[in-house]
Amino acid sequence: MQQLRNIWLLTIKDLKLFAADRGALFFAIIFPMLFVVLFNYMMTGVMGEDSRLEINLATQEPAGGISYQIIAAMETKDATTLKPGEPKITWLRDYEQAKQDVEDKKLSGFIAFPEDFSEAVMMGYGTSLEVIFNPNNMEATAALEGVAQSIASELGASRVVNDTVISLLVEKDLFSTGAAEDLGQEIQALLARQATAAGNEMITFSTQTVGEVKAENPANFVIPGYLVMFVFFTAAFSASQLVKERQNHTLERLLSSSATRNAVLGGVFCGTAAKSLVQITIFWLVGIIFFKMNMGTSPLAVILISILMILVSSAFGVMLATMVKTERSASSIGVITSLILAPLGGCWWPLFITPKWMQFIAKITPHGWATTGFNKLLVFGGDFASVIPEMLVLLAFAIVFGLIAVLRFKTNAD
Amino acid sequence: MSEAFLAVKEIHKSFNGQKAVNGISFTIDKGEIFGLLGPNGAGKTTVIRILSTVLEADAGDVTVGGYSLRKNPAAVRNLVGVCPQDLALYEELSALDNLIFFGQLEGLSGREAKSQAISHLSLMGLTERGKGKISKFSGGMKRRINLAIALMGNPKLLFLDEPTVGIDPQSRNNIFETIRSLRDKGMTVLYTTHYMEEADRLCDRIAIMDGGKFVAMDTPQGLKRQIGDPDKVTLEDVFLKLTGRSLRD
Ligand SMILES: Nc1ncnc2c1ncn2[C@@H]1O[C@H](COP(=O)(O)OP(=O)(O)OP(=O)(O)O)[C@@H](O)[C@H]1O
Ligand SMILES: [Mg+2]
Repeated sequence: MQQLRNIWLLTIKDLKLFAADRGALFFAIIFPMLFVVLFNYMMTGVMGEDSRLEINLATQEPAGGISYQIIAAMETKDATTLKPGEPKITWLRDYEQAKQDVEDKKLSGFIAFPEDFSEAVMMGYGTSLEVIFNPNNMEATAALEGVAQSIASELGASRVVNDTVISLLVEKDLFSTGAAEDLGQEIQALLARQATAAGNEMITFSTQTVGEVKAENPANFVIPGYLVMFVFFTAAFSASQLVKERQNHTLERLLSSSATRNAVLGGVFCGTAAKSLVQITIFWLVGIIFFKMNMGTSPLAVILISILMILVSSAFGVMLATMVKTERSASSIGVITSLILAPLGGCWWPLFITPKWMQFIAKITPHGWATTGFNKLLVFGGDFASVIPEMLVLLAFAIVFGLIAVLRFKTNAD
Repeated sequence: MSEAFLAVKEIHKSFNGQKAVNGISFTIDKGEIFGLLGPNGAGKTTVIRILSTVLEADAGDVTVGGYSLRKNPAAVRNLVGVCPQDLALYEELSALDNLIFFGQLEGLSGREAKSQAISHLSLMGLTERGKGKISKFSGGMKRRINLAIALMGNPKLLFLDEPTVGIDPQSRNNIFETIRSLRDKGMTVLYTTHYMEEADRLCDRIAIMDGGKFVAMDTPQGLKRQIGDPDKVTLEDVFLKLTGRSLRD
């Protein structure tokens, strides 16, 4: 009990020091906001261009199957009537030809309904949509994964198609994927109608709205990107603060009070995390209130990834403090690593527009996992389940950094 | 017979194979001011860090108020207050915030900590400056705050590691008077300093330490008597005689 109180006292003390430090406040909160405003503005220009999502569909079913009706209903009949952001949906009549086109790189990819689709839907057993894409078309592939995941989880959730493996196709545009969200809902709605028409009670469909992710809003990836970047800056600041406390002997002085070494360590972690928590909370509030950000289909997942980011970055900060001798090296190493990891980890531009090798490198940074998670949730409309891998990896990063920090932690500067 | 409040038995401490403390034993009675003198690098601070539980001895036993430092460090911490040689303050916080923070860490409630902080500030003649940031304080003021923090939570035993270093006579007198009045209220004190006449005036007994060992331990009078007429020689004469004239560190 007493040690918990001590941890609490140490945390409050850190927040007080943070609040008393104008420079730190500026770099943790005001400065990032300037970035967000600036880049949000720039990205809005980029988004404004008319670039349309194109989705190709095909079916292997014999004529008359449900998939025919679905595709027919979804197909874009008159491209000139499309509203901005609406996808152009094309029906590829010849499955084999389409496949050949993908191989020949004439087509980036398509989704095909399987031969037994109608039967599977009517009987309620599992089937899977086939995804054919050209792996060389990295942009499209990468963007698709996120989009596909959201559709897959929606279909999965409505229990029509179990173990569905989906990916989607995008030819050009990467951001107006909100349209894909519409597509997901469209498929559900159509399936639902079909099912009712057939009077098949076995198949029930959830028709709840699964969030309207407005991917046209650049804030949805600009803000999370900078949030991830700047939360690491705050960790760098915390690291130098911690080195300072070690050097000015306050850390050692704590040990002669009632605080045990573990409580001091706990207080150091919590104090660091508390600063990041304040920062991230402000980020989200500003994003939601001023940038009309949408928290996607799973705000809980957004919050959890944010919290995991706090854990990773504060563990990183404490670890960094245990590895350097001076305040100056703590802050400069902290800032440099943050600056290198941020672009590698997709904080400055979305990872899904980068080449494969960069996406691979991103995987070794916590930033990469965090931004991928945020993008899935906020840009592609993914749900909680779709970001579980990201959460687990972030947790692993936090544990590794934290363990190193705990093992190396010293209160004195000797 | 007075009872030993602090008992130290054969403590040793090495840093990277170098002996900093090499088998030291002594006791301090309740209400006694015990002076620990010695040239730079003698091991005084190391002894105090061990006694205040922030550093673990390689060997030896310490008991404070009957509690074993090894077995019950929490109880020992509860009884002692430490004024470290290096100022250990949060420069960006106010004097009051520093005192309250450390007071609460000693187990005081927020209210108790605040009232103690206010009374200690007045003891140090700093009532007016309570809300000022430490970073804006002079060296003497910081020293006084450093000492005031050691008093938070009403410790029974004080470790004062050069509390008067580098400050003007006014601040020094203030600290001096504070320690005396604490002693009069029954506080037990372990005191290190490089000011010999200070030790002479203040301490009931003095140990002179060199190279990690005690080279003498007696009352100031007793020490002086070892080398001549106690009314003619000074403690500094004794010190130089016992520790030699070569430079340290
Ligand atoms: N953490 C440490 N690592 C290595 N050596 C140390 C450490 N702390 C102290 N020492 C060494 O131990 C010896 C005793 O140091 P200590 O600080 O206890 O001396 P001191 O008597 O307090 O000196 P001063 O009067 O200068 O304060 C010195 O030789 C010092 O260099
Ligand atoms: Mg010393």
